[in-house]
Amino acid sequence: MYLLRLALASLANRRFTAFLTAFAIALSVCLLLAVERVRTEARASFASTISGTDLIVGARSGSVNLLLYSVFRIGNATNNIRWDSYQHYAQDPRVKWAIPISLGDSHRGYRVMGTTTDYFSHYQYGRRQHLELSQGREFASDPFEVVLGAEVADALHYKLGDKLVLAHGVAAISLVKHDDKPFTVVGVLKRTGTPVDRTLHISLGGMEAIHIDWHNGVPARGAGRISAEQARTMDLQPAAITAFMLGLNSKIATFSLQREINEYRSEPLLAILPGVALQELWSLMGTAEQALFVVSLFVVLTGLIGMLTAILTSLNERRREMAILRSVGARPWHIAGLLVLEALALAVTGIAAGLGLLYAGIALAQGYVQANYGLYLPLALPSAHEWTLLAIILGAALLMGSVPAWRAYRQSLADGLSIHL
Amino acid sequence: MIRNLIAFFAGKPAPTGTAQALKAVEDSVGAGLPAKGPGQAAQILLVVLLSLALPAWADEVRELDWPALIPEGAPVIPPQLAPLHDMSQLSDALSAESAPPARQQAPDAPVVKSLDGQTVKIPGYIVPLEVSEEGRTTEFLLVPYYGACIHVPPPPSNQIVHIFSEMGVRVEDLYQPYWIEGKMQVRASSSELADAGYQMEAEKIYAYVLK
Repeated sequence: MYLLRLALASLANRRFTAFLTAFAIALSVCLLLAVERVRTEARASFASTISGTDLIVGARSGSVNLLLYSVFRIGNATNNIRWDSYQHYAQDPRVKWAIPISLGDSHRGYRVMGTTTDYFSHYQYGRRQHLELSQGREFASDPFEVVLGAEVADALHYKLGDKLVLAHGVAAISLVKHDDKPFTVVGVLKRTGTPVDRTLHISLGGMEAIHIDWHNGVPARGAGRISAEQARTMDLQPAAITAFMLGLNSKIATFSLQREINEYRSEPLLAILPGVALQELWSLMGTAEQALFVVSLFVVLTGLIGMLTAILTSLNERRREMAILRSVGARPWHIAGLLVLEALALAVTGIAAGLGLLYAGIALAQGYVQANYGLYLPLALPSAHEWTLLAIILGAALLMGSVPAWRAYRQSLADGLSIHL
Repeated sequence: MIRNLIAFFAGKPAPTGTAQALKAVEDSVGAGLPAKGPGQAAQILLVVLLSLALPAWADEVRELDWPALIPEGAPVIPPQLAPLHDMSQLSDALSAESAPPARQQAPDAPVVKSLDGQTVKIPGYIVPLEVSEEGRTTEFLLVPYYGACIHVPPPPSNQIVHIFSEMGVRVEDLYQPYWIEGKMQVRASSSELADAGYQMEAEKIYAYVLK
């Protein structure tokens, strides 16, 4: 115990260097844990975004691309598919349910998705959880009704009955708006922690209505304009949608239906199994993830080597201190223990401060990260994996502390007392 | 660039009127200023001229919106109601030429009923259906081969096992085969709509290693 007190007192004497060393370790530990946490949370949020959907069907592109735009609202569709094709497969006897989706517009950076009420009853996320409304109702027959994701409502302060204008394209700041056809908020969904929170849901009819007079790629002028009132009376059956999701009666039929859709004669289609596409996405991201992890490991190593350097340099200055300790009866292993304890104290302080920094950072950045990247970072206690990492860092620090300890152990009493020139 | 140009003019006997004028200006300006060479004087002149021109550029900027780029009374383009880039009919035209699509050979293939209730182990490739938040696959299809099998029809229904796993398995590589151990459930059915085929509640999952 007295050894630890001596070690701490000695450190307090060199508090500035000690502080810097501990701070370097704290930063590196914070970085390592932050990388780990973002990595695991990103995986968890990706994995919990879709559940219970057996096939996703879209225009031919790539499986990861189709998954990204249809489920995660990242990137854009390459092409639309025909309504007929959707109808064909929605009515297939092997299909239990089908959800059509239509993408391409936005509202202040949040994507707008045209769909049917089947989406609210069949789409599942997490562990087979269904979407639930926190207030209001699903959109009904009127085309100009919108159901907001939880985050859209929170961030933009919308409540039931508010009117909002959708923008053409998916840019956050849009110059071309569908301002002649405002939508009314009729419902807000409960928070799910998935991209659903950042989506505005309208009916397929609504999607059709805002584009009904857009046939030349620009809004119609003069007499060509169709007002919201006129649009309500028109046939708003879409001719094309962006993608659709299928739930099957039997999972065994997944492969055969997938193959059939991929070889559908009337239109080139692509059907993917979300689980497989997710796995492919992870194996793509895996390399980058590992690179990040390795970099942060090296940063930790740099912090620890910084500590080693600091202790080794101080060893020379403290020759006299050691000699005095020895002369009052300290054994060589006392001196060695002193240095190991010093390293331990620095590492423990560094790790504790690193954890502190991490939690402060999470508390500060939580809202921003959730809003901008859709990633929920919980203020949870370190996981078993994180504790293991911390233990390894502590072990490494002890190992490094034993290097100066060994040198001090070997130094003779006379070495510290005689004057070196 | 400008410096080079001026040096070019200044360094040569003036062949043109412009250069002569420049020279004259240089002389007049150079007389009043402590300019070191004729080139520098011309530079000062340029700066003066440019600064005079600036107020003209700073004139009111007209803000445009996109409809302002379409002239007043431009003929209305007749709406094109057919979908853009609709090549979907192309395959209709070609369908007479193509072979029939590969269908699953036997969607309700016969199953070995005696396997029902037996504890078995079977190797195969995992096709993930449900992935838990920890990234573990909790529900999957086990198939005898995986990957580039698009040349042949998909496997018949008695070559697929639908597997549930409470614990789940962390699938890092889709091309890694696994041994699955558990109790087999056989559900025979005459229609392809029902949950026909093999199902299993996995008790043990471990990597298949070549011996």
